[in-house]
Amino acid sequence: MKPLDPRLIRHARAARSYMVLTAMLGVVMSVAVVCQAILVARGVGGLASGVGFGPEEWTRLLGAVGLIVVIRVAVAWTQERFAHRAAAETIAELRGSVLKHVVALGPRFEAEGGAAKAAQLVTRGLDALDAYFTRYLPQLLMVVTVTPILLVVAGFVDWISAIIMFVTVPLIPVFMVLIGRLTEAYSARRLATMTNLGAQVMDLITGLPTLKALGREKGPAARVRKLSVAHQKATFATVRVAFLSGAALELIATLSVALVAVAVGLRLQAGRMDLIDGLAIIMIAPEIYLPLRNVGAHFHASANGVAASNRAFDLLAVPAPPAGRLPAPDLAAATIIFEQVCVDAPGRGYQAPADLSFTLPPGALTALTGPNGAGKSTAVAVLLGLTRPTSGRVMVQPGDGSAALDLSQIDPPSWWAQIAWAPQRPALAPGTVLQNLLEVYDSDPAATAAVERAARAAGFDSVVRSLPSGWQTRIGHGGLGLSVGQRQRLALARVFLQDKPLVILDEPTAHLDAATEEQVLASIRSLGRQGRTVLLVAHRQTLRAQAQSSVAVRSTAVDGAELVAAGGPTAGGAGSAATASGTGDADATGAGPTGAHTNGDAP
Amino acid sequence: MSRRAESEASPVAAAPPVRRPLRRAVALTGLKLGQLLAAVFFGALTQAASVALAGTSAWLIVRASQMPPVLSLQVAVVGVRAFGITRGVSRYIERLTAHRVALSGMTNLRVRLYERMASGSGAGAAAFKRGDVLARVGADIDDVGDLVVRGIIPALVAAVLMVGSSVAVGAFLPTAGIAVFACLALVAIGGPLATFRAARLAETAATQARADVSASALGIIENASELRVGGQLDHALADLAGHEKRLVAATDAVAKPSALAACLTEVGTGLALIVNLILTAVAWQAGAISATELAVIVLMPLAAFESVAGLSTAAAQVYKSRAAAARIVALAEAGHAADAAVPAAAEPSGAAEPSGAAPTGTLRAAGLSAGWQAGRPVVLGVDLELAPGHGIGLVGRSGAGKTTLLATLAGLIPPLAGDVAVGGAPLAGLSPKARAAGVAFIAEDAHIFATTVLENLRVANGRLEAADAAAVLERVGLGRWLAGLPQGLDTLLTAGSDSISGGERRRLLLARALVSPAQHILLDEPAEHLDPEAGRRLTAELLAAARAAGRGLLVVSHQEEALAGADRVYRLVDGRLVDGGLTDGAGQ
Repeated sequence: MKPLDPRLIRHARAARSYMVLTAMLGVVMSVAVVCQAILVARGVGGLASGVGFGPEEWTRLLGAVGLIVVIRVAVAWTQERFAHRAAAETIAELRGSVLKHVVALGPRFEAEGGAAKAAQLVTRGLDALDAYFTRYLPQLLMVVTVTPILLVVAGFVDWISAIIMFVTVPLIPVFMVLIGRLTEAYSARRLATMTNLGAQVMDLITGLPTLKALGREKGPAARVRKLSVAHQKATFATVRVAFLSGAALELIATLSVALVAVAVGLRLQAGRMDLIDGLAIIMIAPEIYLPLRNVGAHFHASANGVAASNRAFDLLAVPAPPAGRLPAPDLAAATIIFEQVCVDAPGRGYQAPADLSFTLPPGALTALTGPNGAGKSTAVAVLLGLTRPTSGRVMVQPGDGSAALDLSQIDPPSWWAQIAWAPQRPALAPGTVLQNLLEVYDSDPAATAAVERAARAAGFDSVVRSLPSGWQTRIGHGGLGLSVGQRQRLALARVFLQDKPLVILDEPTAHLDAATEEQVLASIRSLGRQGRTVLLVAHRQTLRAQAQSSVAVRSTAVDGAELVAAGGPTAGGAGSAATASGTGDADATGAGPTGAHTNGDAP
Repeated sequence: MSRRAESEASPVAAAPPVRRPLRRAVALTGLKLGQLLAAVFFGALTQAASVALAGTSAWLIVRASQMPPVLSLQVAVVGVRAFGITRGVSRYIERLTAHRVALSGMTNLRVRLYERMASGSGAGAAAFKRGDVLARVGADIDDVGDLVVRGIIPALVAAVLMVGSSVAVGAFLPTAGIAVFACLALVAIGGPLATFRAARLAETAATQARADVSASALGIIENASELRVGGQLDHALADLAGHEKRLVAATDAVAKPSALAACLTEVGTGLALIVNLILTAVAWQAGAISATELAVIVLMPLAAFESVAGLSTAAAQVYKSRAAAARIVALAEAGHAADAAVPAAAEPSGAAEPSGAAPTGTLRAAGLSAGWQAGRPVVLGVDLELAPGHGIGLVGRSGAGKTTLLATLAGLIPPLAGDVAVGGAPLAGLSPKARAAGVAFIAEDAHIFATTVLENLRVANGRLEAADAAAVLERVGLGRWLAGLPQGLDTLLTAGSDSISGGERRRLLLARALVSPAQHILLDEPAEHLDPEAGRRLTAELLAAARAAGRGLLVVSHQEEALAGADRVYRLVDGRLVDGGLTDGAGQ
């Protein structure tokens, strides 16, 4: 582990100003330590050598010591007072960067486990940086400010003592690194054993209700004892070695202070030194080693935070695909052509979709069909420019007859501005139902007639009537308070409210009863009549029947053999797979708390 | 999910506060007093060496400046060096002994927890009800271990040091000794108090802000694509920034008492220094102390503050461990109470020698009331019969008590009234093995063990052959998943949710139900996390398989359409079981 990661300073502005403040406090602290040592040495030395003070001089000396104490108190207060804020701000900055980057990396990265990693980081992982900022970093900066400044001052007071310390201070990191290196392999082996044994014990304890339900709880008790004892021994063996470097640090630090004291004492006895200088040196000496000792003490506490920030920086280093720059052509007139588009399913050894070719002429109503896991939702992600095809391409033929463009060259925001999309799991923010509907409605919010019309078209009007406070009903994170079907109708209403030339609807009637379904189907037909291009992801026959043409999406194994789609684990496509792995617990029913609550601070 | 909703809805969800959780948790660790005192001894020795080093150095310097013969300084020279070495070495021994105490305590805690939960029916119930508590029991045990190493031992060491160094100073000048004690006490009491205040503030103010930040950040990850396409990303990020701002403000509020705790050490040290300068100057003028004593009195106490400065950290650890200790004590003592209430008769190894033979025949519940706590039934007066070869469906809203009823029917929590029997044999009188051979319960959140795929199925049937396991996995739609695993059935599944998805997990649990040789199987929410179509198909398949094998199957769902193939469907309404058709959508 690097003592200080330059990436942290580069990525976090809050970290930079905090480090400047801390370094300045370190300098002030050094001055205070030196002044205090000299003042106290003069006081004690003056009395002890029989010089004595007049009351005025004595009062001045005490006043000066008092002032130094006030300064030291202020430094300690300021340091702690702003450390927590800096930590919170830095964590917030990193969290924002990670989120923006994950979003830019798109659904494929998320489905490959990126979403789960990012979710861990932004919920809890990065919070471990607090200990790094409030404990470790200040001491580290003291090592580079207080320790050298005091060494230089010590050189002016007594150069022989300064040389002893100048030699022994570097010994501390050298010995710590040496011991660390020598024990590295042993520690890693021990740590692996320890972690493994610990996980096995906890696995049995957390699985106890399941064992009990199957009548198997008695057998493992002996195993829990055996594993626990083995875990205890492995842990003890680990710490015995792990504490060695800390012991070296403490030993060198205190022994050096003792050596300085003895050397000073012997020279005083020989009359080659002044008592006041001697007293000052033995007060300064421990302060030189103190930051080093504190760094050692807080090293392990900060390790989690450093590991989390490393994970964050690794994630930030994953390159995002370059976005196109050309403005999108007018989609009301353009034709979209899929040419043999294949996308590798993440980590599963096959392609979904495979070899997908079709044309979306303007104003057409087209349905994508195929079994679960065939890649329908991924095909939509490709059309949206969120996922790049593994092979093949998507061409856009503008209506004005100019040359066709590859979708990857087109500037995404100008493309998205012309698309209305209702995914299977719509994004809903905490707030009122009306706010959630208007969020994407950029004209006058008072256009209630349009809102009512869109709600009716989506079959959402009956939902609003059934809600306790109608349009003003508040919903929670992820749409908590609405059923899955209701959330989907809200998303449909959003689509109907927008006037976009290309409309993409992912299973819009999946959770609807027959009457509402007919209402929605009629609205979809009317979209077609308005000349909008509509792409449906359709499972149900009733929905497919609306389309002028159907495109069958299929997945294949990479070796070319076609898979029997058994409604396998990839059901729902890349988007929902990412959600499922992201929250660890896909909430398909709307009955329980959302993933956000599951992953947030547990009670 | 519905389990969670259920426990939230049930009135017993808020466990009664555990009194004196720290003391009781420490008692559970079976901490050896001798080992603890050894750790405190070495801790005190470390700090004492540090104080003695400062004192001896001061004496040596002042005495040397009076230019006595070198020989008269020899003792001090040796002393200074010896204290320097002692401090480093005894610190290492202190850390080792402290960890030895804590580690053996944690082992005892783990084993006792497991044994109590495995034997006591009450603890079993507690474990069932509070799966969330069980999931974090590992971290909780670590927190109790940290309580010993970072809380109890440093506090005792600081107490010894406070008294010791005050007495040492007082031996030279009693007034100075009292002043040093007062300053040390200021730090030792004020620091922890301020830390407690900070911890309480963090809990009340920052927790909500933190939860909002997490929820909003997760929302962005989950809906990344839609937010981008809909142009809402900036809006969502601004929303997050607002929550972050509130979190920073809350952190800022917490930082104030923290900063007070941090600067108190400097206040104490500074006060001791100034007061001692004045006291020694007066005493010196009065001729009450010598020059060397003067230096020792002023300089020695400065080293004593290091040990009391650590008390703020110790206080933070105590605060953190208290909640963990309360959860552990609640888990362990629930079992203890149950064991005390139900003497050996209910124990499987008791004199009654319950039959180990697997009971066969109809599962019958009569006048059954179920609930997690006596006097608070969630389900009332249930009469139910499940004959071998029959399939029963049970629907009800989330929180209606479906899981509670199932756990009671499986004999995992004792009925509050009425009884459950298989083939006429009451479940309460059966050994765990026989009971599970009669009724097996596959909970919705059943554990996937960190072992191989095959072993995870063998949990339900120890005699399962690999070929049969593969066939069953194929049947539940995991054929392709199995084929993709690097070592097939021998692939290790890691405990976390990252190695298998929610849907795969669900199917694996269904496979467990299929391989179980039990006479009756109670299955909680088999269709959860699957798309409706697959859920319907799999449930139908399970019902057909049970019928063919002559086993009884009770399936709980809140999606009625999944239960089309059942012989009978019951509905749980307001704690009562009623006949329910497939008509009026109460599951919505």
